[in-house]
Amino acid sequence: MESTRNLLIEILEKNKNNYISGEQMSKMLGISRTAVWKHMKELQKDGYEIEGISKKGYKITQFPSKVSVNTLQWGSKTKWLGKTLIHKHSTGSTQIIGHQLAVEGTPHGTVVVADVQTEGKGRFDRKWHSSNNKGIWMSIVLRPNLLPNQAPQITLLAATVIADVIKSKTGLSPNIKWPNDVLINNKKVSGILTEMQAEQDRIQYMVLGIGININQSVETLANDIKASATSLRIESTIEWNIRDLIQETLAHFEQAYDSFIDEGFSPIKSKWESYAYMIGQSVRIKTFKKETTAQLIGIKEDGALIIKNEDGSHESLYSAEIQW
Amino acid sequence: MLNMQEIQNLIKLIDESSIDEFTYESNGTKVSLRKQKGELVTAQPSFSPVPQTNKVSEQTAINAEPKEVPEDDGEQTTDFDYEIVSPMVGTFYAAPTPDKDDYVQIGDTVKSDTVVCIVEAMKLFNEIESEVSGEVVEILAENGELVEYGQPLFRVKAK
Repeated sequence: MESTRNLLIEILEKNKNNYISGEQMSKMLGISRTAVWKHMKELQKDGYEIEGISKKGYKITQFPSKVSVNTLQWGSKTKWLGKTLIHKHSTGSTQIIGHQLAVEGTPHGTVVVADVQTEGKGRFDRKWHSSNNKGIWMSIVLRPNLLPNQAPQITLLAATVIADVIKSKTGLSPNIKWPNDVLINNKKVSGILTEMQAEQDRIQYMVLGIGININQSVETLANDIKASATSLRIESTIEWNIRDLIQETLAHFEQAYDSFIDEGFSPIKSKWESYAYMIGQSVRIKTFKKETTAQLIGIKEDGALIIKNEDGSHESLYSAEIQW
Repeated sequence: MLNMQEIQNLIKLIDESSIDEFTYESNGTKVSLRKQKGELVTAQPSFSPVPQTNKVSEQTAINAEPKEVPEDDGEQTTDFDYEIVSPMVGTFYAAPTPDKDDYVQIGDTVKSDTVVCIVEAMKLFNEIESEVSGEVVEILAENGELVEYGQPLFRVKAK
């Protein structure tokens, strides 16, 4: 059923500039014309607008912007990511659902998406504003066969994926602030928070939380973040289709993740560096009981931040508060 | 007492880790390892390490009479059975958030799946599970401290 619909969407997508007859589709899918018609009705319920003209056939006039399990899975280009997918209109935090599902044994690649999060969270329980249908609020459950100390590299990978999607879809020029905030014009457009359960030598699961501000306007962006945050709409003056951006993000993520597992971090490192924010510049860095000024040099083969201290010595940081 | 094989394994592990200095003491045998200029050298604490050497030598002061157990110092030696060590480099957090209670305190009973702390690196928050059952007898890291790969964080006594 699902796969028939996916095929149907593919066919319609390929023929979006011309009409395709019900008979052609029934032959291609190996189902009756009545069945094709029933599938079309289902697609329309989820926001696909299909024009039907007798003797000519059908044509998709509009793809859905509505986010649902159906619209996210139909037309999806992924092989394993988001095959188990949960969509909530409103929830406290997709991270919490991700954890619960992971504990219950949900498969690698499970995705949780919400239209609105009432308790979206950032680091140290800082609030993450996730307003209704204005952005991507999602969590991905991963079970990588890696050592726990390699896992942080996946958070840098996720940032490059988001930067890639923003760049290719909108033409804007994103930057990545170490380790994984995505900025446009010095303001934060996306944040990533990852939580992991691991033993000494084995990762049980990771829940990668992604927040991307998409369609907020200056007016609807929460007051306390107006100065430091932005959205794709503010930067581009265009409303974006959230459903498409989720699909695009998942497709890019799957590809980047698979190549990371096969080839290691090196390609991600180059990509990351091409987006790197403030490299070569000096910043204040706070680590445990120590605050210094240092120059940002780059990242190491494992994703750690390389800094140059005022005495000329180099140091790699895995965790620090940086005053950008 | 460590045998040659175990010492070689230790050297290999430390070489690959970000630990700069390592000391192990047991029944009068002491092994001290210290990395210098990217190389691994060994030295007894009272000697200054030989710089340019590439060779790793074993300098264990083995007592001729193994029965001569050194006198108990009576200090730091809290009786414990396990050490919970950090699986990665990062910041140690004793509590889930700054305004919440610590995950565990001395005297607490932990099970293998009890979360004892968080180690954060690159905004990845790793919840560390005890992996053993027993009583927490010592907490070796301070909230907010940077911890190394393999650094002991807690000591647990089996019950």
